[in-house]
Amino acid sequence: MGKSYLLPHRFKKTGWVLLVLGLVLGIAMRFFGIDSDYFGRIPFLGIVTESFLTSNKHFFKVAENGFLDELVAVLIILGGILVGFCKTKIEDEFILQMRLSSLVWSVYVNYGILFLAVLFVFDMPFFDVMVLNMFTVLLFFIIRFHVQLRKANRL
Amino acid sequence: MKNTIKVQRAIKDITQAQLAEIIGVSRQTISAIEKNKYVPSTVLALKLARYFEVPVESVFELTEED
Repeated sequence: MGKSYLLPHRFKKTGWVLLVLGLVLGIAMRFFGIDSDYFGRIPFLGIVTESFLTSNKHFFKVAENGFLDELVAVLIILGGILVGFCKTKIEDEFILQMRLSSLVWSVYVNYGILFLAVLFVFDMPFFDVMVLNMFTVLLFFIIRFHVQLRKANRL
Repeated sequence: MKNTIKVQRAIKDITQAQLAEIIGVSRQTISAIEKNKYVPSTVLALKLARYFEVPVESVFELTEED
């Protein structure tokens, strides 16, 4: 068998902790009006930034920024990758096949939604869809794969 | 493809979980093969036959649809 590019099983629990934390904070931001300054602001090195008023681009500029949104994204990406791509306890060929088909399924669903949004959603609501769409491919995959695993458990 | 794993298991008197551990796969995989939901790789088929001490053809057999 070729390289599977999967991560060791031991990181999976850490992945769940990061992912759940990221999702809870993300949901709090999106639906309960907690904004990105909630835990304060810290300086960031922006490789590229653009000022709202003048539309001038700035390169390598240090600026203060509320870090909650960055934290949420980092937690969901790291947690999602770990949960999705750490090996199961016994990662064999049947499980690899379920993993592959779940991944294909989630890419279809994710881009299906984006495809419809491109045609039927505009302006700020479309921006919202794009923000969510950054994470949904991983989340759909994780959900689908774990549902398949659970079904296999009952076989 | 159909298979006789359940029968072979009964002859050896072992559970799905025990067979899975011996072969080095998950129990779900053995179960999925027995229920014809999964066709194993050649390597896995040969490992199963070797454990049951029979030729691979007496564990796995092609059917009309194959």
